[in-house]
Amino acid sequence: MKSRTQQTSPERGRRSSRRQAAARGSKAAVVVRRIVAIALLLVLWQVAVLTGIAPGLTPRVDRVALALIEILGRADFWLALLQTVSAALTGVAIATVVGVTIGLLVGSIPAAGRAVGLILDFGRSFPTIALLPVLILVIGANWRMEVLVVSLAAVWPILVQSLYGAQQMTSAASEMTRSYRIPPLLKFRRVLLPSALPMISTGIRIAVAISILVAVGVEVLSQTPGLGRLITLAQGGGRWDLAFAYLFLIGCFGWGVTALLARAEGRLLRWNRLGEK
Amino acid sequence: MSEVSTATAGRTLSVRGLGKSYGTGADENWIIRNLDLEVPPGEFVSIVGPSGVGKTTLLRSLSGLVPPTEGGVFIDGDELRAPHPEIGVVFQDYSRSLLPWMTTVENVAFPLQGKGVGKAERLGIAERNLAAVGLGGKGNLYAWEMSGGMQQRVAIARALAYDSKILLMDEPFASVDAQTRLDLEDLVVDLHTNLGVTIILVTHDIDEAVYLADRVVVIAERPAHVVDEIHTGFGSHRDQVETRSDPRFAEARGRILTLLRSGVAAITQSVAQP
Repeated sequence: MKSRTQQTSPERGRRSSRRQAAARGSKAAVVVRRIVAIALLLVLWQVAVLTGIAPGLTPRVDRVALALIEILGRADFWLALLQTVSAALTGVAIATVVGVTIGLLVGSIPAAGRAVGLILDFGRSFPTIALLPVLILVIGANWRMEVLVVSLAAVWPILVQSLYGAQQMTSAASEMTRSYRIPPLLKFRRVLLPSALPMISTGIRIAVAISILVAVGVEVLSQTPGLGRLITLAQGGGRWDLAFAYLFLIGCFGWGVTALLARAEGRLLRWNRLGEK
Repeated sequence: MSEVSTATAGRTLSVRGLGKSYGTGADENWIIRNLDLEVPPGEFVSIVGPSGVGKTTLLRSLSGLVPPTEGGVFIDGDELRAPHPEIGVVFQDYSRSLLPWMTTVENVAFPLQGKGVGKAERLGIAERNLAAVGLGGKGNLYAWEMSGGMQQRVAIARALAYDSKILLMDEPFASVDAQTRLDLEDLVVDLHTNLGVTIILVTHDIDEAVYLADRVVVIAERPAHVVDEIHTGFGSHRDQVETRSDPRFAEARGRILTLLRSGVAAITQSVAQP
């Protein structure tokens, strides 16, 4: 047994370092390709505006770039960013606590999992933003209302993923916990939650993307303070370059958060990736 | 909590008139019926029978995971109604019964956490039991960094660390290669000799059943019941070459093989006229 492990480990090490080198090479190639794709898109945009193919109000790329620099130096942008982001992330946080708890509880009881299928499909496809008029009436156009709408929209992917995640717990693992008399709370924390975690983290990533969309959407529609409001204000003032710059920044922010989550997931769920080889 | 647990006061496991069925009325399907068995403390019993005879169902009944339909399982005379704190189970599907997000030592210590043993103490116990199965110093590896044989050793260490007086093993070596299988067989024999735990091992492999056990219990279908019991009489010493060429080994092997191959009719006859 000992000699075998000694034989395989250096071999495995070499193989994985070669694989890492290959991965690094292809990663650089992907980055280059991405930059080329973005540059192409910007060139196309500029050409479309200059030749008059694009609708009349579309700003030129260089104007948007200038607006971008202008925005970054303005305090009201940073305040608005803080308002939007805090609303989006607070909403996701609430949705995570609620969605994971309910999802895991329901998912770990097979009969319950089947029973709630219809409700889930309904909730998932319900356009939360349609509730906006009612919520504005009840709560008002403020940060709290925005958080509520975000969490209502973000809870579904997390709930659904947690529910499926709970069903990922193998019967072997549940037999083991039963035969070793693992208490329910410990089982929940150390067996059910980790086995569902890969699915849950996907749910959270989807939810974060949704939360930014919904937060900005709510601000645009209800004039709650935030980036969405700045966009409508810019549009109202005929500053389409500013509006586009805001949109661009929101996109960047969404991308950044998703990348950060993917990294955290890679680290936290290392066992999951490696176990699949 | 003992060191590498030396079972002092063992437990007697008795099975009386055990029956297990699924379905009701005309669809009622008896997997096990009228099964009787008595295992005194410290004995190594292997239960052998053809594939699909209900061995796994039997083991699940013995572990308290499934309630019997008839009769019952008793530990020192007390009826077993749920998994027992002194019964450790080693599952066939070791790769799934070890949790991939825990290191080896955490996996072994996990059932102790359920028993309320403090962190330092349970990790210490886990390390000692890993050493006992030949995995000393490998506690920080994850299951997926180990071979199948090593994973099964971890599962055995976990059952030992639980301070089991009775070890139930369900086809524990069915999915490892031949050489590893021999190593694991000898490991289990050594653990049995050194620790004095009761071991009940279920297998479809006649050679393995005879090699390991003090007593081989042959079950036949269906519903599963005991058709024969053979005391191997090898004592505590086993050697893969020597024991397997012992005339008693050949005799026991032949007797079981004949029983299992001759089918239900012959079995019922042999039971009727011993």
